[in-house]
Amino acid sequence: MAGKEFKQRIHRALNNDSLRGALGRFADSYIVSREQVYAGRDFAALRERIAAIKSDAAGHYEELADRFTRAVEARGGKVFRAGDAAAAREYIYQVAKEHGVTDIVKSKSFASEEIHLNEFLQERGINPYETDLAEWILQLMPGERPSHMVMPAIHLPKEEVARVFSRYLGEPVEPDIKNMVRIARRELRKKFLTAGMGISGANIAVAETGTIVLCTNEGNARLTTTVPPVHVAIVGYEKLVPSIKDIVPILEALPRSGTAQPITSYVTMITGPVPAWRGEGEGIKELHVVLLDNGRTRMAADPVFKEALQCIRCASCTNVCPVFQLVSGQVYGYIYNGGIGSVLTAFFNSLEDAVDPQSLCIGCRRCAEVCPAKINIPDLVLKLRERVVTKQGLSSGYRIALHGIVAKPKLMHTLLRAASRLQGPVTHGQPLIRHLPLFFSNLTSGRSLPAIAKEPLRDRVKRLEARTGRPRLKAAFYSGCVIDFAYPEIGEAVYKVLGREGVQVTFPQGQACCGAPAVYAGDRETAVKLAKQNITALEEARADVVVTACPTCAVALKKDFPELLAGEPAWEERARALAKKVKDFTELVHELTGGQGKKVKQAKKSGSRAVKVTYHDSCHFKRHLGLDQVARQVLKEQPGVELVEMQESDRCCGFGGSYSIKYPEISAPILERKLKNITESGAEVVAADCPGCVLQLRGGLDQKGSSIKVKHTAEVLAALENLQGGGNSK
Amino acid sequence: MKFQELITSFTSQAEAMGARVIPAARPGEIGPKLVEVLRPLGSKIALVDSPLVKTAGVEAALAGAGFNVDKDGPEFARQADTGIVEFEYGIAETGTLAMDATDLKTRLAAMLPLTCVALLPAERVRANLTEVIDAYLERGPWPGYFTLVTGPSRTADIERSLTIGVHGPERLFIILVGENGGDSRGR
Ligand code: SF4
Ligand code: SF4
Repeated sequence: MAGKEFKQRIHRALNNDSLRGALGRFADSYIVSREQVYAGRDFAALRERIAAIKSDAAGHYEELADRFTRAVEARGGKVFRAGDAAAAREYIYQVAKEHGVTDIVKSKSFASEEIHLNEFLQERGINPYETDLAEWILQLMPGERPSHMVMPAIHLPKEEVARVFSRYLGEPVEPDIKNMVRIARRELRKKFLTAGMGISGANIAVAETGTIVLCTNEGNARLTTTVPPVHVAIVGYEKLVPSIKDIVPILEALPRSGTAQPITSYVTMITGPVPAWRGEGEGIKELHVVLLDNGRTRMAADPVFKEALQCIRCASCTNVCPVFQLVSGQVYGYIYNGGIGSVLTAFFNSLEDAVDPQSLCIGCRRCAEVCPAKINIPDLVLKLRERVVTKQGLSSGYRIALHGIVAKPKLMHTLLRAASRLQGPVTHGQPLIRHLPLFFSNLTSGRSLPAIAKEPLRDRVKRLEARTGRPRLKAAFYSGCVIDFAYPEIGEAVYKVLGREGVQVTFPQGQACCGAPAVYAGDRETAVKLAKQNITALEEARADVVVTACPTCAVALKKDFPELLAGEPAWEERARALAKKVKDFTELVHELTGGQGKKVKQAKKSGSRAVKVTYHDSCHFKRHLGLDQVARQVLKEQPGVELVEMQESDRCCGFGGSYSIKYPEISAPILERKLKNITESGAEVVAADCPGCVLQLRGGLDQKGSSIKVKHTAEVLAALENLQGGGNSK
Repeated sequence: MKFQELITSFTSQAEAMGARVIPAARPGEIGPKLVEVLRPLGSKIALVDSPLVKTAGVEAALAGAGFNVDKDGPEFARQADTGIVEFEYGIAETGTLAMDATDLKTRLAAMLPLTCVALLPAERVRANLTEVIDAYLERGPWPGYFTLVTGPSRTADIERSLTIGVHGPERLFIILVGENGGDSRGR
């Protein structure tokens, strides 16, 4: 469970209207403007190039650092390799002391924040002035946390900034943005012209030439590196690239992904010391480059997390993150935000510091879609979670639920059956599922939960398994827990539709939970156990295909099982053989109907009007399985269905399995937005391909008293006539 | 890309990014154009010499029109209203100016004043950054201080409201010099 202080931070952020308003507005417009600025460009190819350059560099930091050092030294600059934050701080302080520096101008640098340089210098009587406008504002507000990596003061309304400036100047300042920018120019210009040292970061460092590349819009990095006689650049190892040409793709992506600009106003490339005004006359500037390790080489040596070093700090992953949008960087803390931030924090700070931030990821995978460095952020977060659990163990609630129940399918199924008998009649808003692996508690704000089915699917299948003469295909149905115990009618629909297509469906009784709840909780041990049990059960079915109607289960079977069993060759092979057979239900229908559907046969049979159906893209269905268009095609071909698109159809519904229990306060507003989009679409039915989404959406619409029905695609295909009747409560 | 396409793209991109592109058919036109646009913007000019500045007689034109032209000294560009600098390349794709700004005065004149005038020979416009990088690599060692400038200095740090002229110039004029220099409307 998240720490108390952390929970409080979440609470504060969620209740900060100007923060949520500003981040929300930005995120909405960002999505559109990012599309525009990449229009006509091959983003996929671009990110491949960047990933290749950066990942290759991460394999050769020592060599690159050597080349970089030689190149800078050949020009007369100095390079200091700092193993950790303390070494970097001390070196910079010594340089300042040597030159009798009292005032320092700084342009934005994550690395300097990472090493807590400002506090260190201040304690030693040296004044560092941040010159990036937002950073300066925050510096004038002790205790205020940055809310975003690229726009750290995005949460502050202009009135607040005016108050800060008034306090600083000792005179009233109107909340007029243009005028406040003028004030910043005037005040900071004084600092530029008098400071004894400039400190910058770097966006890229080129080993071949010893060049550091800085991108800014304000022009503060130019002044920082031009006016004062001494320049110190703090450069993380991960900024290194081999040659000057490597900067081109990074410069193409960074401003576009960062702020949806084709290029920043200024791109400055500094190679060795350059002329500067030094007291009496023109001389040569002193240049010090601090190459900062602080966990980076350890990360580069880690086969899993090395990937995170590809990051170019554009923050687009946070811009599209539904969780970040609600809570902001103020909640993540530790300089680097979002999913990627939690991974970086684990190495640059400590694993302990990453425990809470990593838990915020709901796993929707939107970030992975936009990352220009092609980092699989959500998978890295899961790996990090696994390490947290390995080190700290599961929290007691999870341990009982996962080890004690989920890992023992027989017991779990018995408990579920018992629970279905014990529960009272279905009532709105009454938490009824308590023992599904997804539910470890009974918090249900903003959402009703379904009852546990009186008769789970596994007990109904005998009646469903009709013998067809000569089946076209033999399929084993892997239902997953939600369909089995909460929505067996979805399973029945699967049987019906596939039966119609001449498929013989069986239900291997030995199947158990797919283990996703364990994987998402970082509990590898339970996940491995379940993988083996399922492989055995599904092999016994001897089917041509293994069908599932749950994308999370599909991902577990296709991707997680082989990964989990990678250390055990015999098992791994079996896992891979199984993975090849796994097919999503809707995908299979699409293949079987050859994209024709039953339109011809059934069209206009009843002459009734078409039902408006809108489609919700389940995160794993779209971003893992890539079936979003397939599902739409299948639905469009269904007679009597009129497909209408909702806004933001691929935004997460806020379910995320146990996430909605762990962070109901975050899950609820994400759901709220989804419901708004659904309602505004004018549809009578929402279709989705994930039973988890169905559960979340039904619960939400039910609480609202909405008449819109939520159906799994299988249900839409199985019985159109039912679309117009029946409620959500089942 | 054909020359005219490069010029058209450069001009429209630069203007989209907030610069103003002023075509000058011949070097001789630079002086009068400068006098015209700079008149309302203050009389103190920081001028960096270059072959083009010399042939065009920029200094004489400005001094003759009553401007106070500064070319050197410890206070160079610090109090100037306008800095005038010749850039070496233009990049059509993004409307960007490029130069080796290792020379200190070049940097100060382009950074400190509220108005920056960039002189650029039209035949120096290249299609993209890669071509410009290639041009510098051919010339010899990589420059000490290489700079790319696109539009005026800007910030969106307060309420994401785009505001120009933070630490750098709030106006960027690009005088595009050459027979075929013209703006996006073909003027
Ligand atoms: S997977 Fe989704 S919730 Fe997790 S960091 Fe990425 S965008 Fe955010
Ligand atoms: S992880 Fe990717 S999207 Fe996120 S900041 Fe890094 S490069 Fe940008």
